[in-house]
Amino acid sequence: MLEQLLIFTRGGLILWSSCRGLGNALKGSPIDALIRSCLLEERSAETSFAHDAYTLKWAFHNELGLVFVAVYQRILHLLYVDDLLAAVRREFAEIYDPKRTSYDDFDETFRQLQKEAEARAEEMKKSKQAGRAPAVPGKKQGAGGAAQRDAKQKGNGAGGGGSGKDDGDGDGDSGKGRWLANGNGNGQEKGARERSHAPPGSVVVKGKENGGPQAGAFDVNKLQKLRSKGGKKSDNTKPASKGGEPKKIVKKNRVWDDSPSESRLDFTDPVDERGEGIVEAVAADQGESMMDKEEDLSSESEAEEEDEEVEGAKPGAKKKGWFTSMFQSIAGNAIIEKSDLQPALKALKDRLMTKNVAEEIAEKLCESVAASLEGKKLGSFTRISSTVQTAMEEALLRILTPKRSIDILREVHAAKEHGKPYVIVFVGVNGVGKSTNLAKVAYWLLQHNISVMLAACDTFRSGAVEQLRTHARRLQIPIFEKGYEKDPAVVAREAIQEASRNKSDVVLVDTAGRMQDNEPLMRALSKLINLNSPDLVLFVGEALVGNDAVDQLSKFNQKLADLSTVPNARLIDGILLTKFDTIDDKVGAALSMVYISGAPVMFVGCGQSYTDLKKLNVKSIVKTLLK
Amino acid sequence: MDQWISQIEQWFHQQPVEQIYVAVAVLALTVVLFVLFSLLKTSKSNTIVLAGLNGSGKTILFYQLRDGSPHQGTVTSMEPNDGTFVLHSELGKKGKIKPVHLVDVPGHSRLKPKLDEFLPNAAGLIFVVDALDFLPNCRPAAEYLYDILTKSSVVKRRIPVLILCNKTDKVTAHSKEFIRKQLEKEIDKLRTSRNAISTADISDEFMLGVPGEPFTLEQCRNKVTVAEASGLTGEVSQVEQFIREHVKP
Repeated sequence: MLEQLLIFTRGGLILWSSCRGLGNALKGSPIDALIRSCLLEERSAETSFAHDAYTLKWAFHNELGLVFVAVYQRILHLLYVDDLLAAVRREFAEIYDPKRTSYDDFDETFRQLQKEAEARAEEMKKSKQAGRAPAVPGKKQGAGGAAQRDAKQKGNGAGGGGSGKDDGDGDGDSGKGRWLANGNGNGQEKGARERSHAPPGSVVVKGKENGGPQAGAFDVNKLQKLRSKGGKKSDNTKPASKGGEPKKIVKKNRVWDDSPSESRLDFTDPVDERGEGIVEAVAADQGESMMDKEEDLSSESEAEEEDEEVEGAKPGAKKKGWFTSMFQSIAGNAIIEKSDLQPALKALKDRLMTKNVAEEIAEKLCESVAASLEGKKLGSFTRISSTVQTAMEEALLRILTPKRSIDILREVHAAKEHGKPYVIVFVGVNGVGKSTNLAKVAYWLLQHNISVMLAACDTFRSGAVEQLRTHARRLQIPIFEKGYEKDPAVVAREAIQEASRNKSDVVLVDTAGRMQDNEPLMRALSKLINLNSPDLVLFVGEALVGNDAVDQLSKFNQKLADLSTVPNARLIDGILLTKFDTIDDKVGAALSMVYISGAPVMFVGCGQSYTDLKKLNVKSIVKTLLK
Repeated sequence: MDQWISQIEQWFHQQPVEQIYVAVAVLALTVVLFVLFSLLKTSKSNTIVLAGLNGSGKTILFYQLRDGSPHQGTVTSMEPNDGTFVLHSELGKKGKIKPVHLVDVPGHSRLKPKLDEFLPNAAGLIFVVDALDFLPNCRPAAEYLYDILTKSSVVKRRIPVLILCNKTDKVTAHSKEFIRKQLEKEIDKLRTSRNAISTADISDEFMLGVPGEPFTLEQCRNKVTVAEASGLTGEVSQVEQFIREHVKP
């Protein structure tokens, strides 16, 4: 049954609550979690949100600035909630008065509405049940069948299901298979479920883009599948690598053209064994790192130019008389309908996509903006396109504003007081610029009189350790390395111990690039992070990435959460955006990454020399995105 | 109608010229004096801004000041609460009381830019701190306070700041002295780390306090005081005192 239905203003005052006298009898204040992680993160276009043991659904009344939230137990699949929310919204809008703060008379109306909605749902369930063969034995028939029908009803599988949204999981499961798993999940004991849900549940709040009650539901089955798959994969790679090693010695070098083969390919200077070498250390001043320079924004005119295509959002929409629509736009009484918003939103979405924002993210953002504008009255003399533009600008500003402090220096100082080194781990896929930007961050920290140590935990790629050694020599900082083919987690641990011994303030850990789908490598990464609990996990992503950014980040977060050993899994704490100088104004990758992971952009790499490290300027990015 | 006009014209022409000049001069003088007075009378704004971290109790305080009761509770605000009203406790008082324009700015970090909209008009700022759950939030609270105290609009106009320790009705709430000392310590540390970088998008426009000495709240150019209150039970007398001090009736 419905645990609670809450009506509150956007300013935060609770106007009416269905369970009075018990105070907030819900565990863990799910409403606050909903606001913080969903509505304020511009995910208000999703249909439900899962938190701990509850599922929450909501509806807005944008004109009056009210929010209606229904909370119920996650294991129940109540179908009448959406209807109930719509009915409640209708009724309450009639009795709402901005001056009143208590609405006790609404209790009666609510009870009535609830009974009606439940009755309607029962009817539909019964009629469906009569016409269906039992789907799977041992499943709660009513819930399963009705829920499936519900999914079909909603068309895009929104409802109580995550069927349309499992892009992050990349599953090709048929809908039936999913509901099967769901039914099994229902049949399980609550205790077991809660255990398996707690980690994904809490991660859903941070990492996953989808409301994932159902994604959590069949995670158990998925994990089992993955475990068997993963086992097979690791078995395959092990013999392959073992076979590869002895083979390498015997293999002849391939000659592509007729040039004589090189006699030796190992160019490391023999003197370099101790790290001193022929190469001179750089005079530690290449100038101020761009992190410390003020950005001077060119004062462009604030007025945006209207797009020709967006003009007249009205033609093609409802056939209002020309005079009525003109009059309404002047008098400011037109209520915004969804159909009016569509052309403006479509234009905006296309504009965002031309700026390299991932398609999915642009879609979600536009839906969220639509949800927040529907039902509002247009101000006088404003066109729909400008209202949509302002709303989108606000939404973008909100998403890109960091949720946590990005002041690394402060945190380093705090860690220094505790006597521990501050550990930063750089993770990412292959070739995004981890080692280069690691050196840039080291340079910046050095400029602020912080002692840095590098840890070469990329023990796979040839030349990775030498690369870091060269940087360390040029910057004159210690480096901890153990060569190749060692376990990176152990190398990292020893590096941190070494750092605390020689009193370094910061340890920068370089890891090997890995694809997000590569199970054993992700497991190794997870092991590194679990073993060493770094202070900051920086995901390095390149600004050139397109739709793959969504996949990369969500899979990284998911794997870190799934394979973590502690209940509060360490996820990606920050993003380092690289190769920013190669994109002119196609800055959308920043938006996609921040939206999908919720982590702020801490640094931006904009070149290949030591000083090319900047902070993200939120206002200029928003301006560029909407230009 | 025409008769009246012609009559007035006749009467007008009958007056001696000097009288007309005098009349006009008197009129002009009164107008000028009126304009001067209205300009010189420092039109002090009556806006008080409530700011603070997420969950510190600003919205409850807002409704307590407005209606005398926190109603049914609050959730995290998504938008600022704005209202111009006479404080609830003063409704019974006789005489002309100036209504106060109270603004409650959401504390969620994503909505922080909203504070900048209201600061230019503020006559006073109340920084609400959760005295119950203080230590885990000490650093974010100090950072927010530091940001506010170094904003140019606050320093130049010397906006008085009241640091309000809320939720003091609970037994385990910290005392205001403790909170004050902790905040001073944290801000001191922030000073050293923030001034080491010239920030690009943190508007660190003014140096706080005296360099070389540990920071105390008295060193701020604007007046900073500390007080206690409890939003839920209605113990807001110190807040009202502050408001009345700075929004002169």
